[in-house]
Amino acid sequence: MRRIVSFLALAMSMFCMAGRGVAGDTIKVGFVDTYTGPATTFTNDVLDGFKMAAEKINAKGGVLGRKITYVTRDDKFKPDIGLTMAKELILNENIDLLVGTINSATALAVSDLCRKEKVPFLVTFSKSDKITGEKGNRYVFGMNENTEMAGRAAAKALAKMRFVKYWIAGDDYEYGHAIANGVFDHLRTLNPMVQLLGQSWWKVGETDFTPYITQILAAKPDFVIVATGGGGMVNFQKAAQSTGFNRKVPFYQHTAIELSTLMPQGKNAPEGVYGTANYLFYYPDTKENKAFVEEFRKAYNRYPKSGALYGYMTAEFIAKSFEKAGTVDREKFIDAMEGMTLPSPVGPMEMRACDHQVTLPMFFGVTKKSPKYDFLTAGDIVSVPGKDYMPSCAEIAKARAK
Amino acid sequence: MRRPSAPLLLLLLLAALLALPQVLPRFHTYVAAIVLLTALLATSLNLAIGYTGLYQFGHAVFYGVGAYGTALTLTRSGMPAPVAFMAGPLAAAALSLVMGMICIRLSKLYFGMLQISLGSLVWAVVYRWYSFTGGDDGIHGIPLPDAISSPEASYYFTLIVTALCVFTMYRIVRSPFGKVIQGIRDNPVRAASIGVDVRLHQLASLVIAGFFGGVAGSLFVVVENSVFPDMMFWTFSLEVLIMCLLGGMYTFFGPFVGASMIVLLRVFASVHTRYWGLILGTILTLVIIFLPDGVLGVFVRRSPPKEDRGA
Amino acid sequence: MMDFASNLFSPGTLSQILVGLSRTTILFIVSSGMSLILGVLRIPNVAHGSLYMIGAFAAWSVIRFLGGGLFTFLGAMIVAPLIVAAVGFVLERGFFSYLYEREHLMLLLLTFAFMLILGDLVKIVWGPEYRSVTVPAFFQGSAEIFGLPLPWYNLFLLLVGPCIAVFLWLVINRTNLGKIARAAAVDGEMVGAVGINVEWVFAFTFVLGSFLAGLGGALIAPMVNISLGMDHSLIMETFLIVIIGGLGNMWGALLGSLIFGLTQSLGILVWPQFGVAFPYLAVVAVLVVRPRGLLRSTW
Repeated sequence: MRRIVSFLALAMSMFCMAGRGVAGDTIKVGFVDTYTGPATTFTNDVLDGFKMAAEKINAKGGVLGRKITYVTRDDKFKPDIGLTMAKELILNENIDLLVGTINSATALAVSDLCRKEKVPFLVTFSKSDKITGEKGNRYVFGMNENTEMAGRAAAKALAKMRFVKYWIAGDDYEYGHAIANGVFDHLRTLNPMVQLLGQSWWKVGETDFTPYITQILAAKPDFVIVATGGGGMVNFQKAAQSTGFNRKVPFYQHTAIELSTLMPQGKNAPEGVYGTANYLFYYPDTKENKAFVEEFRKAYNRYPKSGALYGYMTAEFIAKSFEKAGTVDREKFIDAMEGMTLPSPVGPMEMRACDHQVTLPMFFGVTKKSPKYDFLTAGDIVSVPGKDYMPSCAEIAKARAK
Repeated sequence: MRRPSAPLLLLLLLAALLALPQVLPRFHTYVAAIVLLTALLATSLNLAIGYTGLYQFGHAVFYGVGAYGTALTLTRSGMPAPVAFMAGPLAAAALSLVMGMICIRLSKLYFGMLQISLGSLVWAVVYRWYSFTGGDDGIHGIPLPDAISSPEASYYFTLIVTALCVFTMYRIVRSPFGKVIQGIRDNPVRAASIGVDVRLHQLASLVIAGFFGGVAGSLFVVVENSVFPDMMFWTFSLEVLIMCLLGGMYTFFGPFVGASMIVLLRVFASVHTRYWGLILGTILTLVIIFLPDGVLGVFVRRSPPKEDRGA
Repeated sequence: MMDFASNLFSPGTLSQILVGLSRTTILFIVSSGMSLILGVLRIPNVAHGSLYMIGAFAAWSVIRFLGGGLFTFLGAMIVAPLIVAAVGFVLERGFFSYLYEREHLMLLLLTFAFMLILGDLVKIVWGPEYRSVTVPAFFQGSAEIFGLPLPWYNLFLLLVGPCIAVFLWLVINRTNLGKIARAAAVDGEMVGAVGINVEWVFAFTFVLGSFLAGLGGALIAPMVNISLGMDHSLIMETFLIVIIGGLGNMWGALLGSLIFGLTQSLGILVWPQFGVAFPYLAVVAVLVVRPRGLLRSTW
């Protein structure tokens, strides 16, 4: 019996132990994100980009005289853990605002929580269009592109090409279907002649695509929209390379031209793959981008990827919005951030007031071998300005009214 | 049980739990609610595995179905909340009956694996049926009746429901029915030979376990206002099983203790370190080395029946 | 689905069958390891996936260390599984050997703990970034079979699979060690009573099982993104294959793997959207019809 009591006492004390969170004179940012498993490679970029900007800002005196600090919590890519960690950050750590997460389901759940708790939530990397679309609210902000946006941008580019018979394939989860539908539905409005021959969906984390590839080739489409996400990108490209799929049928993947997809494959990545991306460290070749890349390389000894851009600009928006608000007040922060335009490595970025979605350019290109680097890069790059591929405020309002 | 201080201890515990929200900060109240409903889930699992000896490897599917049943009723049908809170557990119980009838012919490991396969099919349907279940995005912002929507109220609701359910299960386990299923666990052949309908009792036990698992799922809706397909995935089934084993599957409160330990560790260890897995793994290793019957197993000097290793 | 009849004898189907067979290899190698551990030692080893993952990362490290090329690759296919076998040896001698008398469901606690610990150790040693191993030049590209591409590496796997199967069969049925292991699976006490050191038999079995898990991971490394989630990716399929095939039965593992590999690749032809569900339906069908698995189990 003594043992039960002592055990309970131990449990209770451990329970009460994690009471910290001093509301001090810092701007405390809470990160709830996935730092376990395959997504970690992306989320580390976000954190590193954020840290780089925050350190610069703090060195210049901080925001309203306060330093930016941050704490991180790992949601292990599970929405229920993500919710718990978000609550812990808000209630226990007393953070001023939340940033995160790469898991869209978690982002939606936390967005709802933040609406109730009236805490600003800046979403990084999650690509569900519902975050700033139909499930958007006053407290949530989208710091990167979403599936609707990527779909429209790709459709714009693809409509100019002469393909008619399409096949859709991809990872069988919400993101996969959203991207595929996003691209194809908009393509069909721009070019009513396109036909859908068929679809193939594999489980997330599939490693051997050969059976799907043979089936697709047998059907002889003109073009394939491949809706893979995260880790699936590299896996599919490897399969394409070894079966020669990319030489037989042209295909498109969102983020096919991103560094995260191409660098691990070195010189063996497939050529001729169409893709879209929000950030390429070598394009545009502007002063701002070059400076950003050099700073990041010096700090972290690697090239920045899209996540770094999101993290960096998140810090910038946080700092400038508090400055404009003049006080560390969450409501004034939100009002200040709406409509704000800031310079970024890829040009000016606007935080649209009607839906809290950031406007940034999308690059459409084709993978090509590069004489300069040990990995493939994007060629024939077309830059689509943000305004050209974002849903209009009216469309957003309609979606939210449902 | 001949420990006279046990009921007193339980009453003290209950009193402490009732006073909790007044004393502890909001976050801890929320965590306590999660601990309670998880403990209910683990206890329901133990009904099947510890008391009936069935290898219930796919229990999370009942938790998930209970949660989704309640969530869908609250968001899509016009029905009032009490209906929703019965719909979830009843759906879970019904599923448990159906799955039980398919799996019951198999023994031990095979039972468990078939259950996981069937559970995976259910998960796959929920995961892909985006228009109805929200797919892998889950369902968020589920509306609750005002009486239980505040953090304090949801805690008290969880506490009361959990206490009632645990008490009910306790009475079931100590009833003649409970004795019979334990007899079946220890020696099904012998039980059959004295005229017990083994299959019927096992099925009944499964249905009860599924029902209370579904109740735990409904409570999750109350505390988090969200549901996710991960709730019914096999990795969570494994976690709940671990909670029972950790706490001691031959005691009634073992799963309660195991669930508490794992939930508390998961929440508070994550706060301090990135390598939560190492910490939990080490603790589990120590438990199995030094506490062969789980944490509470030390109080029960019970040697489990040796399996028939001979021909 | 209407195309099924016309597809049945098309080049597409025949090609799919070959592809399904090559998928079988990895499944078979990993499952045979699990079958040994579960069948002979009765350990439900959920850490088996972790060993598979370590095999992949170890292969990456070996290839990185020794440089590219065919012989390095083949060398890595041997060294990486040996590293994993060493890990298995430590686990068995250090922990399992003291705990065989425990209720074997409780051993699940231990293997679960190892899965957590090994997962974090991999994160510490190799970090969170994706790793990639390139298929050696010798195997790059694909052959045209029935007009459709089959990567040379898949063909390589198609050959490796039966070789491993034959090798295992020889070890288990033709060597003394193998025979003793099978006997020990059925009645460990008796084997001990006859004067054989059962402990070392068990150690050998666990080490062999771990080697096979590592070999599966090493072989799949060129085809996938080597990442931290790999320990969860195969484990459910592996358990299911072993159950439907028969515990401790090598041919069972092969049969189970064939069922899995083929139902999935043919399922894709029949119903492309739900091809992934077909193996699970096959498992349900098998278990309902043959509740103790297809072939003989050791327990």
